[in-house]
Amino acid sequence: MADITNKDFQFIDINTIQAEKITAPRYSYWASVFRVFFRKKVNIVLIALFVLLLVCSFIIPIFCPYVPYEYVTDAKTYHLNPKAAMEYFGGFSMKWIFGSGAQGNSIFYGIWASARTSLVLAVICAAINMTIGILLGAVWGYSKRFDQVMLVIYNIIANVPYILLITVLVYIIGSGFWSFVFALTVTGWLGIAYFFRTQVLIIRDREYSLASRCLGTPIPRMVSKNILPFLTSVTVTLLATELPSYISMEVFLSYIGAGLSADVASLGRMIQEAQSAFLIYPWEFWPPVAIAATITIILYVLGQNLADASDPRTHM
Amino acid sequence: MKRYMGKRILFSIFSLIVVVAAVMLLVYSLINRNVIFQQDDMWNKKSSNDRAVYEYTMYSKYGYLDFVDYSAFLKNKYEPLLGSEYTKDAAYKADKDAIQDETTFLENASVQEFKDFYEKKGYVINYLTPDRSKSGKVKSGGNAYLLAVHEKSVFLRVWDYFRHLISIETTRDVTDPALAERYIRVERDPYSGFYAVVGSGTTHKYLLYVDGRFPFLHQNFIHLNLGTSYTKYRGQEITQVINRPTGDQLKMLTQYPAQIGTDEYIESAIDFHTLTYNYNPRTKTEMGQFPDQYTAHSYRFGGLSMLENSFVAGIIATIIAYLLGLPLGIAMARHKEGLLDKIGNGYIIFIMAVPSLAYIFLFATVGTTLFKLPYKFANAEAKIFAYFLPIISLALPQVGGLMKWMRRYMIDQMNSDYVKFARAEGLSEREIFSKHISRNAMIPLVHGIPANILGCLTGAIITERVYAMPGVGNLLTAAINGHDNGIIVACTVFYTSLSIISIILGDLLMAKFDPRISLTASKGGGR
Repeated sequence: MADITNKDFQFIDINTIQAEKITAPRYSYWASVFRVFFRKKVNIVLIALFVLLLVCSFIIPIFCPYVPYEYVTDAKTYHLNPKAAMEYFGGFSMKWIFGSGAQGNSIFYGIWASARTSLVLAVICAAINMTIGILLGAVWGYSKRFDQVMLVIYNIIANVPYILLITVLVYIIGSGFWSFVFALTVTGWLGIAYFFRTQVLIIRDREYSLASRCLGTPIPRMVSKNILPFLTSVTVTLLATELPSYISMEVFLSYIGAGLSADVASLGRMIQEAQSAFLIYPWEFWPPVAIAATITIILYVLGQNLADASDPRTHM
Repeated sequence: MKRYMGKRILFSIFSLIVVVAAVMLLVYSLINRNVIFQQDDMWNKKSSNDRAVYEYTMYSKYGYLDFVDYSAFLKNKYEPLLGSEYTKDAAYKADKDAIQDETTFLENASVQEFKDFYEKKGYVINYLTPDRSKSGKVKSGGNAYLLAVHEKSVFLRVWDYFRHLISIETTRDVTDPALAERYIRVERDPYSGFYAVVGSGTTHKYLLYVDGRFPFLHQNFIHLNLGTSYTKYRGQEITQVINRPTGDQLKMLTQYPAQIGTDEYIESAIDFHTLTYNYNPRTKTEMGQFPDQYTAHSYRFGGLSMLENSFVAGIIATIIAYLLGLPLGIAMARHKEGLLDKIGNGYIIFIMAVPSLAYIFLFATVGTTLFKLPYKFANAEAKIFAYFLPIISLALPQVGGLMKWMRRYMIDQMNSDYVKFARAEGLSEREIFSKHISRNAMIPLVHGIPANILGCLTGAIITERVYAMPGVGNLLTAAINGHDNGIIVACTVFYTSLSIISIILGDLLMAKFDPRISLTASKGGGR
């Protein structure tokens, strides 16, 4: 062993900045979220299913466009069960796997074209409502003057049943795709904004926020660093219930006759058309119901699980 | 507290007015008004100018405009001068026929008078030229008309609507000068055997009375007029439509008012509690039946009204839901992660995520095929069985919702200090769960009870449609499909008021249930 001399050592100044650092394992929020999320095998299965649904509803209508009145002149094609339809159209084909509808339309193609409408509708409505809701909710919760004005507006509109509001709006402005989006979003953001306002209000007056404010943190940084990160799991939870709710809403509104117009293929409309004779022609009724239910359940469960995973308390 | 409630009620009334005004504004200004004639047989039968006048009559009936026909103007002009024989007068006839010639009608003095009089009042004079065929002959229904039209502004309509929303009966209601005495007094009611408040000079004879029909005590003092239906129930008042009993007439042994005290009985379905004033003099037979001019009446029916139908089904479903949902939620929380919890969670996800339409049809299929329950309401042999499936379809989703929240609130409470303390004191788990935690967990759920009960009055849209149940749930949707603006406005008022009332009642109930909650929190929020 060599002798240890003074040459082996060197002086280092005291580094106050370094001394402040706490050694902790590297923590990345989103990496942890997905680690926890994928720990559940159910989620992987559901994602696979969802991707399959997405592919089907966006690819199938491109190659096999849904033409509702393709065989409308041939009354023999009406209300054929899968077996009869395949016999009539000559042998096995995916097109007639669920038989034919009231105008000889292919149910199988119909459900995918409709599922696409429903998914697009849900994503657009959720995006609009969530964006406006979160932004306005954050301001609403933060500014006391704005709060007073908004509370009056909220108290007036919240008294009106949502169904009433939407049906009356659809009645007034018509039932095209975009007017339907308008009806669903014109007041839809208000509930979300109110929910966020309450959340922001709770966090705004917490001790750590108060301390931060005392230290002179500017408001934009307060919102982006102190408040919004805290609301991630709440946002995801909300998204998990919002997305499927628009699909259900479309189905419901079309069923009562206040939904999308006839030229837009939609699940609600298919269900509405088939419901009167659903015991006689079950193959026309259950496929759209099943697709609507599958989409909503997958979105709901995935959303709930993602919300659970985005709560940092589950990251341990 | 009183001041707080007063303020709150005032604000609620204000917001109701804002909402109704907004809906009326939208509906009356944006919806094409002629859609109401789409399925009108009278309109289809008429043609040319007759049709146009019919349209004006209907628009004025539904409050879109005021209009005066030239012939009505002539009637007002000549009747005071000549009496009821005025139609035979030559000057009247000349004035009346003057408008039939489109080239010379303006030269007539009466026409000029009509025109000046109404133009001054802000009316627009509308002359419908005679509709002639090529030969010059007037087509059928093509006679000329001269009208003065005044479009009502939407704001005036809103004001009119609220003015007529609530009416109170007084002894001055009957304008008949022949009526000798006017009073409101308590009398012995021969039909119920109890006492009743009876009026003379009021529209109804019986103002407050008891009978065997739910809700047993009935009043005629205050009437709610939600408006008139346009297309669905042409011209009928909506309040009456939803309250009118259905089914077969219920005949029973009864007596006419004049027969009381004698031993003459009749077998009839007439409900003598519904007597109203009749301006036409009594006929000879009526003289023997009624002691006064209150002779108009309606009949007793065996079935329930639309409102009752919805309410009965809804309230039973709500009771079942609370009786099942709360204990199940408690049990799920108690055996968290257990088998019951897992099954329950699956059910909750199913109810929350799947469109309600899908599971109601599922219930309908299972109920009709497996349990042989009647499907469509009208086809049921025994009416009582027809209620089974609607009630189940209403109750099961509610059970899911209540389970979800009860479980959530129970779990939130389970780690509280008072629970640990109760455990340390040696209370049994059963006692802790049933007496301590559940009572605290129920507080947020109490808030929804009034909403659930009052919500039964609005009916259930899908359930009533699927089972073809005659209830109020589809009033709004049917109105929208039939362009019935009257019902749409009525529904807005009805639903919005119910929703406002249930939120206020919910707050009050919650404050009653949990003494820690104070509605009139002092500023600063701290206790």
